Amino acid sequence: MSNLVIQHLTRAFGAARAVDDLSLTVPSGKFISLLGPSGCGKSTTLNCIAGLEHPDCGRIQVGDFVMVDTARNLVLAPEHRGLGMVFQTYALWPHMTVHDNLAFVLKLRKVTGAEAERRISAILELVGLGEFAKRYPFQLSGGQQQRVALARAVVTEPRLLLLDEPLSNLDAKVRQQARTWIRAMQQRVGITTIYVTHDQAEALAMSDMIAVMANGRLHQYATPAEIYEYPATRFVAEFIGATSFLEGRLVERQGEWVRVWVPEIGELKLRADRQPGGKVREWAHDRPVTVAIRSERVQVVRGDGPCDNTFEAPVTGSAYEGARWIHHVKTPAGTLHLETLDAAPAGKLRLYLPPEALFLAPEC
Amino acid sequence: MTTTASELAPARVRLTLSWDRLLQWGVFLLTGLLVLFPVWPILYQSVLDRPLYDPDRSFTLANFSRVLSDPVFWQVTGRTMLFSGLTTLLALAVGTLMAVLIVRTDMPGRGLFSSLIAIPYFVSPLVLAFGWTVVFGPQGVLTVLARSRLGLDWNLYSMGGMIVVAALYYMPFTFLACVASLRLADPQIEHAARIAGCGPVRTLVSITLPLLRPAIIYSALLIFVSSIELLSIPLVLGTPARISLLATYVYQLGVAGITIDYGALAVVAIVLVLLITGLVLLQGRLVGLERRFVTVGAKAVRPQRLRLGVLRWPLAALVGMITILGIIAPLLGIFVQASTALLSPFINPLSVLTLKNFAIVFEQPAYRESIVNSLLVATLGGAVGIFFMALVALTTYRSDFRWRDGLRFLALYPRAFPALIMGIGFLWTYLLIPGIGGVRNTLIAITIAFIVTSLPMGFGTVSPSVLQISPELDRAARVAGSSWFGTLRHILLPMLRPALLSGYVLLFITFLKEYSVALFLFAPGSRVIGTTMIELWRQGNPGPVSALAAVQIVVIAVVVVISRRFFGVKLHE
Ligand SMILES: Nc1ncnc2c1ncn2[C@@H]1O[C@H](COP(=O)(O)OP(=O)(O)OP(=O)(O)O)[C@@H](O)[C@H]1O
Ligand SMILES: [Mg+2]
Repeated sequence: MSNLVIQHLTRAFGAARAVDDLSLTVPSGKFISLLGPSGCGKSTTLNCIAGLEHPDCGRIQVGDFVMVDTARNLVLAPEHRGLGMVFQTYALWPHMTVHDNLAFVLKLRKVTGAEAERRISAILELVGLGEFAKRYPFQLSGGQQQRVALARAVVTEPRLLLLDEPLSNLDAKVRQQARTWIRAMQQRVGITTIYVTHDQAEALAMSDMIAVMANGRLHQYATPAEIYEYPATRFVAEFIGATSFLEGRLVERQGEWVRVWVPEIGELKLRADRQPGGKVREWAHDRPVTVAIRSERVQVVRGDGPCDNTFEAPVTGSAYEGARWIHHVKTPAGTLHLETLDAAPAGKLRLYLPPEALFLAPEC
Repeated sequence: MTTTASELAPARVRLTLSWDRLLQWGVFLLTGLLVLFPVWPILYQSVLDRPLYDPDRSFTLANFSRVLSDPVFWQVTGRTMLFSGLTTLLALAVGTLMAVLIVRTDMPGRGLFSSLIAIPYFVSPLVLAFGWTVVFGPQGVLTVLARSRLGLDWNLYSMGGMIVVAALYYMPFTFLACVASLRLADPQIEHAARIAGCGPVRTLVSITLPLLRPAIIYSALLIFVSSIELLSIPLVLGTPARISLLATYVYQLGVAGITIDYGALAVVAIVLVLLITGLVLLQGRLVGLERRFVTVGAKAVRPQRLRLGVLRWPLAALVGMITILGIIAPLLGIFVQASTALLSPFINPLSVLTLKNFAIVFEQPAYRESIVNSLLVATLGGAVGIFFMALVALTTYRSDFRWRDGLRFLALYPRAFPALIMGIGFLWTYLLIPGIGGVRNTLIAITIAFIVTSLPMGFGTVSPSVLQISPELDRAARVAGSSWFGTLRHILLPMLRPALLSGYVLLFITFLKEYSVALFLFAPGSRVIGTTMIELWRQGNPGPVSALAAVQIVVIAVVVVISRRFFGVKLHE
C-alpha cells in the first residue's frame, strides 16, 4: 500500500526548530490532522511534504515514491510530487474562471481535451458547483471558493491531499457544514489526506488519526478517542478538552485502585489502569502526583449519592454559554471546572469525581 | 518495480530545475553586467594619466591630487550643496503646504489645483527651464512687461532663480507623497485628538503634520539627491551667469570644454557617486526608522475638513498664483514661442503666427531623426525595459534563487549613479570593449543606458504589485505541477498586467524626457529630443527648441490622458 512515511523530519529557522525530528506514518486512504497551537510547526511540516519548504533533515515517501531524502541529497521540487493542496486563502487564480482553474492543473498533468472536460464537470458536480464553471473566483462566496479549491486539489487524482487550515476563513455555520462535507468527499475519493488545524473540535470530528504537535515536536499520534481519553503528555491533556488539574500525594495502590490524598478535598480513588505507562506500580508512597478530570465528567450531587470521591466546595465563578453553564471551584489543590445544564444553586456544591473519569496526568 | 520511478525522479528534477535556474542565473548575470558596465571604466580611468583608449597610458594618482587640491572644485561642490539644500527646503515647504490645503481644508478649487500641481512630474526639467527663460528670463515676456509697466526687475540667471525653478520642478514629489500619506492615514487618529479636546488647527499641527514625517523625509532625500545630479536647470539658467554646479562642471569637463580632461572627469564622477551612495544609504536608514509612523486604517470615515474661514480666498489665490505663474505660464510660453516669429508683450502674438519653427524640427533630417528616435526608444525600449524589470522583480521576490538579495541590490544600485556619469561610463565601456564598439553610435546603446538608469524606478514600481500577490497563488501552481517559469507565465505575469501597463507608461514618459544619459553617448544617427534641444539651445535657436519641447509635451500629455482614460493606468501613489 502507498502509506505516507515521514522519518526524522527537521526544519530549523536559525536556531529555532520549527519542526523537530518528527516521524509519522499515515496509512493509505486515511484522514489525519496535524493539531497544535499557533506557531507549533504544523504548516512547516505540511510545506515540507508539499515541497514548498526544504527540510534540513529527514525522509518523506509515499509508498515507493521518495520525495525527500536528505541523506541522499534528494529534495523533489513541488511540481514533481504529484500532490493536491488547499490553502488557507484558497489561492484560486483570480484571472481564470473556475473551469480554467481546474483545466490549468489538469493540463499541467497532461490531461487535456474531452477527458479534461469530463473530469472537470464530474468534480464540479461532486462539489455541487456545476453551474458555476464560467464564474471568476471573486464572483463566488467564501464557502464556494473553498469548494472550488478542494475540487482543484483533487481533480488530478493526486498522491496526497494536503489542507492548511482550509476552514479558518469561513463563518461558524458554513464551517460546520464544510467539515462534514470535506470528510464525506475524502471518503468517497479515498485519498490519503493531511489536514492542518488548530481547532481541536475540527480535528476530533473529522480525523481517523490526530498528530498533536507543540514546539515542533510530535506529542501524540493516535485516534481521536485515544487522544481524548488517554493523553500521552501533559501538554496533550491540557490542550485537548477542558481539563482541571489537582495537586496531591500518592497514598497507596490496592489492586486495581489507586488512592491519592488531595488537601481540603480528601482522599480520591481512581482506577490504576488509566495511568500512562503503568509506572504507578513503582511509585513510592507520598510521591507528589497530579490528578486530572475533564470538566464534563464532574458531577453535582443533589440529595443522596455516592460518598467516595465526593466533597463540598463553594462556586467561585460562573459563566453562561447558552447550551450550558461553566462553573469554577477554587481549591488549594487547584481550580476545578465543571459544566451544568442550569445555573448552580447559591452556596456550596456537593461534587462527585467518578473514579473512572479521574486519571493521573502525565508528568511531562 | 516502482523503485525505478523514485530512482529516475531526481535526474528528471535536476534537468527541469536547471531551466528555471538557468533563467534566474541569466537575469542575475545580465543585471550585474549592465549595472557594472559603466562603473569599471570610470574607476580605471581615474588612475590613468591619459585617456583610457590611449596606448601610452600609465598608472598615476595625480588625477586625485589635481582635482582634490583645486579650489574651484571645492567651490563648485559647496555651491551645489547650497543649491540642493535650499531647493529641497523650498520644495518641501510648498509641496507640504499644498498637500495639506488640498486634502485637509475647504480651500476653493482643490480638485483643479491637485491635477495642475502634479504637472511638473510629467515634464522634463529641461522643458520647464526653457519655459521659465521664455517667460521670466532677461528678455522674457513677463520680465519685460514688469520692467516697463511696474518698474520691477529680477534676474532669473542666478542662484535664486535656479533654486525657485528646481523647487517647482521637485515640489510634486513632496506633494504626491504627502497626499498619499494623508489619504492613507487612519482618520480615527484625528478623531481621537478632537474628542480629547484638541482644536482643529492644533490637531492639524500636532497630529496630522507629524504623521507626514515619513513622506517628508522620504521626499527630502529624494529631492536632495536628484538636485545634486540635476543638469538641465543649472545648464540653462546658470551657464549664462557663469554659475557652475557639479553637474554642469562635469558637463563642461567632458562635453563642452575645448579639451577633455579624462582623469579629472573620472575623479569628479567618483566623488559624486560616493556622495550620492552615502545619501541613498541614509535615505534607506531613515525611511526604515520612520516605518513606525505608518498607520493604515479604515477609510470609510473621512475626517472633517478644516474650515479656513476668511483665509479661504487669499490662500486659494496664493496657490493659484504659484501654479499659474510657476507651471502654467512657462509651459504656455513654450507653445506661444514655438508658434510665433517673435515673442514680446507689445506685439499681438496672433499677428506673428508662424509654423516655421515646427517646419524646421520636422523637416531638417537631424531634428526629425531625434523625434523619431525618441518615440522609438520610448515605445520599444520601454516595452523591453518593463519586461526585463518585471523579470528582475519576480526573480527577487518570487524565487528561491540563492542570490536574490544580491539581485535586488544590483537592481537598486543605479540609484547611486547620476545619469550623466552613467552616460560617461557607458561611453567608455563601448570605447574599450572591442567587440561591441559597433553598438556605440546606435540607438541600442542609448536604449541600454536608459534602461539601466531607470532600473531602480521600474523595479520600484513593479515590486509592490508583485508583493501584493499572495504567495499562495504561486505555491498552488507549483504543487499542481507547474515549473517556476510556468508559474511566471501563467499566474504571475497575467496577474501583473495592470502594473506592467502602468510601468510601461511610466517608462515611456521617462524615456521620452530623458536627456542626461544620452549627452555623452549620442552620435549622428542616435540623437534624441533632449540632446537636440540642448544642441539647438547652445546654438541660440529658441524657436526650434520650443517647438521640440512642445512636441514632447504634447506626446506625453496624449499618452497620460489615453492611458488614464482608457486603461485606468495609475501613474503615482
Ligand atoms: N520563513 C520563516 N522564517 C523564520 N521563521 C519561520 C519561518 N516560517 C515559519 N517560521 C517559524 O516556525 C515556527 C512554526 O511555524 P508554522 O508556520 O509551521 O506554524 P503553524 O503551526 O502553522 O502556526 P499557525 O497555526 O499560526 O499557522 C513559528 O515559530 C514561525 O515563527
Ligand atoms: Mg500555519
